[in-house]
Amino acid sequence: MTLRADGVTRAYGDEVVFRDVDLRVPQGEVVAIIGPSGVGKSTLLRLLGLFTPPDEGSVAVDGTDAWSLPTDDRLALRRRVGVVFQEASLFDASVARNVEYGLRVRRSWRERVHDELRALVGTTELPDTARDALDVVGLADYVDKPADSLSGGEAQRVAFARALAYDPDFLLLDEPTSDLDPRNTAVIEDAMTAAAERDIGVVVATHDMNQAQRVADRVAVLLDDSVIESGPADRVFENPRDERARKFIDGELVY
Amino acid sequence: MVAVLAALMPLADVVSTLVQAAAGPLFVEFPFERTYVLSIIYVSLYVSLSAVALSTLFSVPVALVVGFTDFPGKRLVKAAINTGMGFPSVVVGLVVLFAVSNQGPLGELNLVFTKEAMIMSQFVLATPPITGIALASVTGVQADVRDAAFALGGTRLDVALTVVKEARYGIATAVLAGFGRAISEVGSVLIVGGNIAGSDGVSKTRTLTTAVQLEARQGRYETALVLGAVLLVLVLAVNAVVVRLGDGGQMR
Repeated sequence: MTLRADGVTRAYGDEVVFRDVDLRVPQGEVVAIIGPSGVGKSTLLRLLGLFTPPDEGSVAVDGTDAWSLPTDDRLALRRRVGVVFQEASLFDASVARNVEYGLRVRRSWRERVHDELRALVGTTELPDTARDALDVVGLADYVDKPADSLSGGEAQRVAFARALAYDPDFLLLDEPTSDLDPRNTAVIEDAMTAAAERDIGVVVATHDMNQAQRVADRVAVLLDDSVIESGPADRVFENPRDERARKFIDGELVY
Repeated sequence: MVAVLAALMPLADVVSTLVQAAAGPLFVEFPFERTYVLSIIYVSLYVSLSAVALSTLFSVPVALVVGFTDFPGKRLVKAAINTGMGFPSVVVGLVVLFAVSNQGPLGELNLVFTKEAMIMSQFVLATPPITGIALASVTGVQADVRDAAFALGGTRLDVALTVVKEARYGIATAVLAGFGRAISEVGSVLIVGGNIAGSDGVSKTRTLTTAVQLEARQGRYETALVLGAVLLVLVLAVNAVVVRLGDGGQMR
């Protein structure tokens, strides 16, 4: 199963962010999109996450063009993709309520009302997948803590667990560690690798070349409104074909 | 039959003396005072709580739509909400009275001088502050939190519910402001309700506010004070309940 963008173009008004971009995300691999700030990495992730349609081209999950489907069917595809943003964006509730959010919205309304009533009485059990996800980021003991009592790094780890909890096929991470200290960064990077080992296709947008080198199996370099280089991480980092990509990777090209 | 009644008369006298001794001077002076006060409290709460409940059900979705969608005339709607917050209640009362009068569009329903008409006018009065404050609080919910709800597989309805949950303190404040406006309001309920109490001392459309106004004018200051105190206690109690409810998510 793959998540793929074929020839996608996105513009805001007259300003083209990128054009004719191809990207293929197989399950079980980490794909890093690298490029300077403001180049459109977030926009590309929003296309892959099926937030917005591309102006041209298509985004397909497992061969199905998502935007050719009616909203309800597209929802089913969207629900196989998890997204973590640069900001943790936690809900103002306990860690448990945050982590089980994705599972909750997938239940029927009848079950959800039932669960809410049980939560009022105070007898809820965190589902196993949600507990596992918290385990992956090392915060299994944090279940009952209110989200607003967490540090920035802990909050981002909860955000990661929240996207992992419903066992998605793909996980999109937009600069997930740019605000974090080295220790929390390491936890998130390990979690990415762990997710890929669970056969999840991971996409991480980052401007941190070292991070891309540490975690990525494949790399796409997004520069000057298109993907100028892509391929296996080792090959791209050691022997980039495109001159601009080489300069960017070597840090000679500063944006 | 008559003999039996005659025999019971002294007994009734004893009972009534005992009741009066126990109940204190207020209830001695006006034998129906207790029923009177209770029925006024009931009318006040019934009218204001109904109006605020209906208004909240109407206002919160409106705030969500105005807050998160674009449509022609959106600025006009916002301007109308802001203007409505300062709308004079007597004018609202007058308009509702015309609407429900025999010649009005709702004349068929025979709502003049009924609680339902009072609910209508309090609905009109409570809706602008509830919508306005709810709008401010739902638009205060960060875009990234809405994105997160969507990204985690939420539908538009899930995102809306999440926004309402995130904005719960602001919405609780909105409901309180609406309730405060409704229960302490005199002008429109006087016009559309008519401040009616039956000869048996049971309020039909008399609320705490209109009763205080009437009692004070008739020089029954003690009753007016009692009713005024009850009004204050009610407002404080409802405040406490709503604040506690709004706090529910935090405590867990």
